[in-house]
Amino acid sequence: MAQRFGTLARMAGPPIVAAVVMVGLWEGVCHLFSIAPYIVPAPTRIWAAFVSKPGSLLFNGGVTFLEAISGFVIGSVLGALLGTAFAYSRLLARGLLPYIIAANTIPVVAIAPIIILWFGHGMQSKVAVTAFLSFFPLALNMMKGLQSYDRVVMDVFHVSAASEWQRFFKMRLPNALPYVFVGLKLNVTFSVIGAIVAEFVQADKGLGFVIMTTYRTLNMPRLWAAMLLSAVIGILFFALIAWIEKRTIPWHSSMREDR
Amino acid sequence: MSVEVAPVPLVELSGVSVTYDVPRQKSVVEALQSVDLAIAKGTFTSLIGPSGCGKSTLLRIVADLIAPTTGRVSIEGQTPASARRARQIGFVFQEPALLEWRSVLDNVALPLELQGMARAQRESEARQLIDLVGLSGFEAVWPSQLSGGMKQRASIARALSTSPHVMLMDEPFGALDQITRDRMNLELVRVFEQTGITVLFVTHSIREAVFLSDNVIVMSPRPGRIVRNIEVDLPRPRNLLVRDNPTFDELVGIGARELEQGYDA
Repeated sequence: MAQRFGTLARMAGPPIVAAVVMVGLWEGVCHLFSIAPYIVPAPTRIWAAFVSKPGSLLFNGGVTFLEAISGFVIGSVLGALLGTAFAYSRLLARGLLPYIIAANTIPVVAIAPIIILWFGHGMQSKVAVTAFLSFFPLALNMMKGLQSYDRVVMDVFHVSAASEWQRFFKMRLPNALPYVFVGLKLNVTFSVIGAIVAEFVQADKGLGFVIMTTYRTLNMPRLWAAMLLSAVIGILFFALIAWIEKRTIPWHSSMREDR
Repeated sequence: MSVEVAPVPLVELSGVSVTYDVPRQKSVVEALQSVDLAIAKGTFTSLIGPSGCGKSTLLRIVADLIAPTTGRVSIEGQTPASARRARQIGFVFQEPALLEWRSVLDNVALPLELQGMARAQRESEARQLIDLVGLSGFEAVWPSQLSGGMKQRASIARALSTSPHVMLMDEPFGALDQITRDRMNLELVRVFEQTGITVLFVTHSIREAVFLSDNVIVMSPRPGRIVRNIEVDLPRPRNLLVRDNPTFDELVGIGARELEQGYDA
């Protein structure tokens, strides 16, 4: 137990110290040079903006998180299914992959208004934008993961008279999991971006909505609070996926702790 | 040994040839040329020959991993495909080819799991095989934590799990250092003598072949043909002392000469 605490202190110590030093410097510089709060608000002002109406910010943060995670799940599942189809059909991959990659290069800010027009003004349109962004990383990583099996291992399955289903579930899918998690971790970031960008275009709640309205009234401390909350949401979301990864593929070389 | 009884061959190849098209060079490569071979039940047969002589190809044909261009293969009267589907073939590859997300126990039990055997039963059978290959105590370990020799032990246990009638081994110890290799040879001889399984073994080493085998089949360079079948009349059970037997060196010498002549031809 004491050893575990020691490891925790060694892991978490440096970033906590760094954060305290940075926040302290930030606070000091703001006061020392009398920087206008709408240019850079001091940390204490941002905190004050947060605690003055914490329920409102947390509610809007919750809305954004819900949009992000829903789109993340829908986009990742659909992407994984298409990636699986690509891995099994060379013809399908050859025909569609160029367009998938082309669609992936469309900036989300350009396509968000179109998707919102299609899906209406509610949360579902923000979920759709997020799902759109989460789709490609999983499609590509799933395809790559399912294709990257060892030929000799496939021979082992062949000699063992394995069915096509067994080859998929006992060999190709577990083998693809490290790739899947690469895609999922990308999607964590993309889904928070997707939700907030969609809220910029049109919304009456969510952190993107808070950022737009506080920008119009130049209530910058509150805008900064919303921005930092979006970062916290992203970090917690990422930590959740990393935690699931560690429990799903503990055997993988990327999970070794002696690095 | 029952060699004198001349039993019905377990594996029989007649007139087996394999040719590959090489489209880029617009040519045809002949990998095997009318191979006839009969392997008696319960014997250990080694295939030896220079690189590219088609010995691995021959093994892969018996395992139904490739089909011969011409000729017939039978395993106890069945085609390789039906013998494979009846799980009568075990195959040990040069690489251990273990699943890195499975423990040693689950790797060894894999063929039984694919066969649909219940967990409790397949695990108890896998434990016995792990014990047989000398890996007791490593059941819960992941493959990445094993040495090369231990991985290959697990791979051999896996190949034995379905109690196959014939075990095919494609240079299983080729990637190991000499000391480990000698140890693995001893272990393999012991496993062979304990189980009475029929083995077809591919190697580059004539000493390894003579040490392990009842028959050493020498093959020519491409296109692979059988140039000689050396009967190894050394006593079993075998141990390292067999190498001090004058017959051992004599047979190694014969094999080495045959291999050289193959190169000159």
